[in-house]
Amino acid sequence: MALPRSIRRTNPITLVLAAVLSFGFLVFLFAPSSNPGAVLNAKRKIANAAAHPLSPPTAPFVKPDASLNGLSKPPPVVHYHLNNVTTTADPVGNQETVLILTPLARFYQGYWNNLLALSYPHSLIALGFIIPKTKEGNAATVALQAAIATTQQGPEGKRFASVTILRQDFDPPISSQDESERHKKDNQKARRAAMSRARNSLLFTTLGPSTSWVLWLDADIIETPPTLIQDLAFHDKPVLVPNCFQRFTNEENKPDTRPYDYNSWQDSQVAADMARDMGPEEIIFEGYADIATYRTLMAMTADRSESRNQQAIIPLDGVGGTALLVKAEVHRDGAMFPPFPFYHLIETEGFAKMARRLGWGCFGLPNYFVYHYNE
Amino acid sequence: MLTEPSSRIGSSRGPSQLYDEGDSFYYVFPSIRSTFMAILTLGLISSSDVEQLQLETVRYYDLSDSGGTARGWEHEERVLMCAPLRDAESHLPMFFSHLHNFTYPHHLVDLAFLVSDSKDNTLQLLSQMLTDLQNDPDPKQPFGEISVIEKDFGQKVNQDVESRHGFAAQASRRKLMAQARNWLLSAALRPTHSWVYWRDADVETAPFTILEDLMRHNKDVIVPNVWRPLPDWLGGEQPYDLNSWQESETALALADTLDEDAVIVEGYAEYATWRPHLAYLRDPYGDPDMEMEIDGVGGVSILAKAKVFRSGVHFPAFSFEKHAETEGFGKMAKRMQFSVVGLPHYTVWHLYEPSVDDIRHMEEMEQERRNRENEEKERVERMKKIKEEFNDQGSQWEKDKNAIDGISQKEDQIRKEHDAAMAAQEEKGPAAQAGKEPAEGAASKNSKASKESKDLKGLKDIKDAPDATEGKGTKNANTEGTANDGKAEEAKVVKIT
Repeated sequence: MALPRSIRRTNPITLVLAAVLSFGFLVFLFAPSSNPGAVLNAKRKIANAAAHPLSPPTAPFVKPDASLNGLSKPPPVVHYHLNNVTTTADPVGNQETVLILTPLARFYQGYWNNLLALSYPHSLIALGFIIPKTKEGNAATVALQAAIATTQQGPEGKRFASVTILRQDFDPPISSQDESERHKKDNQKARRAAMSRARNSLLFTTLGPSTSWVLWLDADIIETPPTLIQDLAFHDKPVLVPNCFQRFTNEENKPDTRPYDYNSWQDSQVAADMARDMGPEEIIFEGYADIATYRTLMAMTADRSESRNQQAIIPLDGVGGTALLVKAEVHRDGAMFPPFPFYHLIETEGFAKMARRLGWGCFGLPNYFVYHYNE
Repeated sequence: MLTEPSSRIGSSRGPSQLYDEGDSFYYVFPSIRSTFMAILTLGLISSSDVEQLQLETVRYYDLSDSGGTARGWEHEERVLMCAPLRDAESHLPMFFSHLHNFTYPHHLVDLAFLVSDSKDNTLQLLSQMLTDLQNDPDPKQPFGEISVIEKDFGQKVNQDVESRHGFAAQASRRKLMAQARNWLLSAALRPTHSWVYWRDADVETAPFTILEDLMRHNKDVIVPNVWRPLPDWLGGEQPYDLNSWQESETALALADTLDEDAVIVEGYAEYATWRPHLAYLRDPYGDPDMEMEIDGVGGVSILAKAKVFRSGVHFPAFSFEKHAETEGFGKMAKRMQFSVVGLPHYTVWHLYEPSVDDIRHMEEMEQERRNRENEEKERVERMKKIKEEFNDQGSQWEKDKNAIDGISQKEDQIRKEHDAAMAAQEEKGPAAQAGKEPAEGAASKNSKASKESKDLKGLKDIKDAPDATEGKGTKNANTEGTANDGKAEEAKVVKIT
């Protein structure tokens, strides 16, 4: 059925109409967005982001344009001014970035909720996780990715600057994470050596050039004050550990708390003598009845009263890693978690020793609590 | 089962290629996108979601993908190349010529530099050369991620050769070097790296295939032998890096006696460790693939699997088992049961920078050369003078000869007169006269000959003299030369021990 000649595409009216429409379309496309604030914000975020996927994992990056079919411009030359990376008592005021590192075996929603509740600006927080490649680890990864997806697409103020998920390249020595199995002394050395390797792998691949503070936070820490980072950084110490407790219901069916982490301590002469008589491969573990070290355990010196001085601070020789704030320069100097007996110490306790060998002091807050999940 | 976001960088990237992209690209784009989004979603999605579409905040990596294999280039394994720099401006052109020549696929190599406490133009030159490298029109030239890290440690230790190698300065210098290396590595290591290659800027000659050559051995930590060329008067070549060694009983016993913070630094007479050094085992015609287990490693050129560093092995900036920096790194890697290997017959050549001793010695040699030239000049002059004197004497001799001739002529005349007189007398007694005459002739002849021989002898004495002085001169020079050779040897010994 033939169209009337008047509305064929050669008709001048059609042409004029088409021209007007395309002009309107172009104006519509290229006109500044109706919400300039959002665009500015987006621009700022893009300016902070790395221009290339090959970039430090502590910052987001601009996705490569899919239309380029994988071909892209060579990465730019990027200068990092580490002289300007500060660690001060006022981290928020100085816009200091915090890298929160978590070796993850199980995903606890309580952990994630606590993380989201942190009052430190999330745009200054990068997250790093390392997860073993086990069945349990796979389940944890799925749960974690779901939580991340929700958060990173949720309200802007809650989004973290970047998230890195690593899968471990070695098998954990024992598959069971049961509380009883995990604390058997025979298993301790192998378990903590593997944990050290996991911590080191996570740390040295995600630290990057702009991190000011590293907060080690175990996946089973489900309750901390929302101001955790600010409160710890306030003391301006190279290595600082709060006291890790656990909430439980006591015999009288009342909520109560008990010490959980015994790895934060001050050394004793007994332990020092013990170490001197030990073979090079032996380790002194804390928290076992048959090794009486007479060390001063921070867990035992806590004041749990309401009127306690939360800012009380003590020097330590060994630290636990359930929650631990470290100035990035301590790690940059080389302080890591020894996966071998280092002065008869391993993992976080060995880390404290290594930090002290490098001239950094370790401290603890006996009256400032974080809480461990209760199995 | 697991969702792996598209952010798995590096595992499936083709060779890097250039395309034109204006800076405005990023800035125009959001506006278009937001407008599109507004159309498509009728404004239901707020524009704060816009950057979400372009910014990736989540990265997922499986570290077992970056374990490192013998033929990494076939598996697109990424290499982090680390170079600590301080006042290295003069070495950069050489360093970049090595980079250009690397045969390992460049887009798989990420470069990280730490520029610390530099007083020269290192930083500016480095940025310029890196920018040129990344903008090279040859798509095979640009490298991967480039990080230039600026950090000053307030270095008080001087970098010049003399103070660098003085024993007393070693321990604290090595600790500072270790610190610099750790800062560089911790800022630049990424989950995508399978290998880490440490390379000093002052390597003069190295095979272009060094990454592949070292990688093929599939060891956790591997180092080549490091020598340096020398001027002929110092022997032509010399082992340079003495930090690659095998542990010895003597050294272990020594370590036990030392203070907790003491650092054994190999290559100094202060500690006689009797360790087998990789450097001394070099045979120029040996099998370059031959391996040797070592305990301490030198830092000029180290290839290590990234998992070694991920596990926590680093360059101790404290006394670790009585060692620091690269030697401590080797010790720590061994402590964690990693394989640490050196290649005695595979050599890279460190730049020869004359030490203060060498410079002094070269000045002495120069002075000596000048002395010898002066001597030569003097000798020539003396010869000339002597020759002139000889000519004088020749004429004197001529005069003497003439004088003698004159005398003998006179004698002849006298004799003739005498003969004439005798002839007159002959008639009286010819027999007596005949007996007298030959005796007299013989006497005069004799005196003439003796005089002549005496003159000849004098001439010969004079002729001998310059020879003698010359001979003595050369002999002197020779003894001095040997003395210098001796000194050169000594300098070497000082450096070697």
